[in-house]
Amino acid sequence: MNVNVESTGMISQLYQGRPAFVRYWGYIGLILGAVGLALFGGDGYTENGYIFQLVGKDGFMWLGTGALMGSGLSIAYQTMRPVTKDSWIPQTMVPWFDVAAFMIILMAIFTLFEPTAEQVSYEDQSSLFAAHVIMTMNVLFIFSSVSYIAYLFAPESFIGKLATWTAWAGVYAGGSALLLRWYESYLFMDGEIGHAPVSNIYEVFILLFCIITIIYLQWEKRYDAKAMGAFVMVLVAAGVFFAIWLESVGQAEIKPLVPALQSYWMKIHVPMNFVGYGSFAVACGAGMAYLTRMWLETRDSKMVKVFPSLEQLDQLAYKSVAVGFPAFTLATILGAAWAAEAWGGYWSWDPKETWALIVWLTYGAYLHVRISHGWHGKTLAWWTVIGFLVTVFCFLGVNMYLAGLHSYGHLS
Amino acid sequence: MTWKKELVMMPRMSQFTNFLKPVLLRLGSMTLAISLLTVLALASVIGTVLLQNQDQSDYLQQFGPIWYWVFRALGLFDMYHTWWFLSLLGFLMLSLSVCLYRNVPRFLKEMRTKKVPVSDSAIKHMELVHHWQLAEQPLEKIISPIKNQLKEWTIRSEERNGITYLRADKGHYHKWGYICVHSAMLIILIGGWMSVHYGFRGNMQVPVGAEEHEISFLQGTSTKSLVMPFYVRCNDFSIDFYPNGMPKEFKSNLTIIDGGKEVLTSDIIVNEPLYYKGVRIYQASFGDGGSNIHFKLMKLDGTGDIDTAEAKVYTTYKDEKTGITLELTDFRPHNVENMAEKDQPKDFQDLGASVDYIMRGPGLKPVKIRSFIDPFILDGENRGTFMSVSFSGDAKEFKPMALGLDMSNPKEWQLFQRFIIRLAATDLKHPKKANMQAFKLAMADVFGANRPDNFQAMAMRVIQAVQIIPRLPWPYIPILDDYDQKYYTGLQLAQDPGMNVVWSGSALLVFGLCIMLYISHRKLWIIIRHENDGMKVTLAGVSNRNPLNFKREFKAILTSFENDMEQLKQGDKL
Repeated sequence: MNVNVESTGMISQLYQGRPAFVRYWGYIGLILGAVGLALFGGDGYTENGYIFQLVGKDGFMWLGTGALMGSGLSIAYQTMRPVTKDSWIPQTMVPWFDVAAFMIILMAIFTLFEPTAEQVSYEDQSSLFAAHVIMTMNVLFIFSSVSYIAYLFAPESFIGKLATWTAWAGVYAGGSALLLRWYESYLFMDGEIGHAPVSNIYEVFILLFCIITIIYLQWEKRYDAKAMGAFVMVLVAAGVFFAIWLESVGQAEIKPLVPALQSYWMKIHVPMNFVGYGSFAVACGAGMAYLTRMWLETRDSKMVKVFPSLEQLDQLAYKSVAVGFPAFTLATILGAAWAAEAWGGYWSWDPKETWALIVWLTYGAYLHVRISHGWHGKTLAWWTVIGFLVTVFCFLGVNMYLAGLHSYGHLS
Repeated sequence: MTWKKELVMMPRMSQFTNFLKPVLLRLGSMTLAISLLTVLALASVIGTVLLQNQDQSDYLQQFGPIWYWVFRALGLFDMYHTWWFLSLLGFLMLSLSVCLYRNVPRFLKEMRTKKVPVSDSAIKHMELVHHWQLAEQPLEKIISPIKNQLKEWTIRSEERNGITYLRADKGHYHKWGYICVHSAMLIILIGGWMSVHYGFRGNMQVPVGAEEHEISFLQGTSTKSLVMPFYVRCNDFSIDFYPNGMPKEFKSNLTIIDGGKEVLTSDIIVNEPLYYKGVRIYQASFGDGGSNIHFKLMKLDGTGDIDTAEAKVYTTYKDEKTGITLELTDFRPHNVENMAEKDQPKDFQDLGASVDYIMRGPGLKPVKIRSFIDPFILDGENRGTFMSVSFSGDAKEFKPMALGLDMSNPKEWQLFQRFIIRLAATDLKHPKKANMQAFKLAMADVFGANRPDNFQAMAMRVIQAVQIIPRLPWPYIPILDDYDQKYYTGLQLAQDPGMNVVWSGSALLVFGLCIMLYISHRKLWIIIRHENDGMKVTLAGVSNRNPLNFKREFKAILTSFENDMEQLKQGDKL
């Protein structure tokens, strides 16, 4: 097992000690600035108005002031009372803030390639730039999954790095494409239909790819579990083909939000749910890797050496469920809160709700047998695989086969 | 049998508890819990595959009489409220309670008492152990650097049989996670039970301008109603549309009337309900609230007369003379449809207002018709009035039927009538020539010398209509002429005293899960004993979860100790 290799390059300096601390508080200041703008900027908060403020002069002033104050105060604090030991919160959070910031910058660059307002209309969205970025993401993810598979057969560090880098590039492409779609939704119909890019099945698919990949890459980085990538990224690649099909049947279009979805809850409930789905997918990948390794061991295959140990894979599957389960629980609760506000009851035994409960029970039982009964190994590896099938049904099957209140994710 | 013997035979209290104990143990067992979760999951699947709370006749049609009665007896059409499903939930509550009853005291005790000394055999079984052999020196010299390194840990020490034990703990409160999660589930279920027993949820339809105080809801297979302590009046209902015709916002302006007084007036939209006296009022649906409809009855008896009729939606218009009845079922002010061919860019068009009615009459097959007010315009060309007709009476089987004529223009109707009369009088041997001639004469009859500009298009429509209109079996064609639209707003009213209980349970659940899954209880022992003319220091550690991370943490602690131990190895040489 590899313990994290500490590199000492220029870039890694940014993530340690004082630079990390200052940057962390800069980001916190930025966020506080955004909150301040929402609360006190302009006259009264409206969602669309806020977004335009954010990208306008007001946003620049509020966010800039926040960031400067945050980093300034932290520098002052550091000079007064130098901290000897690195605290883990800035070190953990700063890379995530950087990822988000980089995605936003990429998105801002992409807007330069956007066609002029006359060239796009609601009826003809083919010239929008996000489609190109998404296509790039598709190619990157497929390439990455092929590389991960190649790595199993030829464990060269070059191939491994290529796989990891393309996966990261895919995440950035996907994330910035989603943000770009948010921007694009304001381009026609006088900005009347602008909404967050989590409103239809195509958009949430892209979100799902990014979440799966990010969670997997975290495990890869921390636990050196590169062979697992072949299994996780294959799931992503399969999803990519499905998304391409969705696009070909016109599901990729930006459509107005039906009244039921016009709520801030959408922006919280949907991404939270996909953190759950995404981690269950990663758990499934780890479970498949576990079962494959077991099978390879019975055949005395040489490939076994590439794989992490069975114990590690078992742990990684559990870790993924441990990330996904609370997120999924929270998402379901948030969904119930939204339902209470929109439909008059927090629980209606709607097919989607019921299937969410089934998924929850499946992984709840998994945690029970693991934590209290001490089960390990093969059975639980199968459990993660089957659990993921249940999850896929909850996420896709319900929309395809069962009618209900969640029918805006409906496939035609 | 004597009374003494009888007394002996009676089960004693202790025996009773002896009998109860295994039952309690079973109820709280993990195996039962997991079986319950599995059975609940499987049962829930049935309810999602079988559509719940539909019309009984639909079920009967779908499953046939035998399966219908089997499913009905099992309550599968309203499965989540059947006694057996509710007892499953009840069992889950019981199992949770027993589980908590059995484990909580034990956990609390475990968290309170922490035995400091540890046996050698326990150390042997630990995976992470390290030894140092040091020179003889005062205990304090060894302990203080250790305590210094383990600042974030809770440390207690004890001496037994000449051996000094130090025990360090981190995350020892993690069992609270278990307690929180399981009590949270219990609280949520209790909240749900409260919602079902002390709450209500039902619908009311309030036409614009009217007031209503009764809600109706489904219970099992029957509809029940409940009277609210106040009236709701709908002052206005409006729909906002996106430019593509999709609805953007449904808005009702409501006034609450309590005890004859208007107490509150407010707008509600989807996602923003109104709250009054513990009852939430939601915008749920809308529909026609009895619009007043004006018909033109285009008579097909050859006279060319146009009668009028007037009726409200949801009522039936009866024509005494002909015995025809028109049952008005729905009215829509807009009909936005995608008019583009397949695979072409979308082209949304509003076909205008329409009314649905069922026409019945002596000797007539009942027919369901959707009549549109406007003629159909395609590529700027007037293709005449059209309607959707369903001979089965099922709205799904609506088929478009063009009438050919533009019925909104009475002159055109007149022209058509004259054309038929003129056509009948002409020589049938030369149909083409006859058509032309008859049309010319008809034009002269209707317009005299002032021909309208667009008469060619009109001619096309009239000639088309000859193929269609005379074949209709009805005495007249009722065409939508005018309307005074009135909506009803569909409101959902709900009171839920269990909701806040559920929310607090939910918060506790998430909190507990985070402790349970992310906090691991890590224990370290440092054992210092005199051995081999010096001192032997043993460091050992265990964690209840996440061994990968703990291994790493243990190694880090080991390295941090290494330096101090290296110095202590030399002993106090000064």
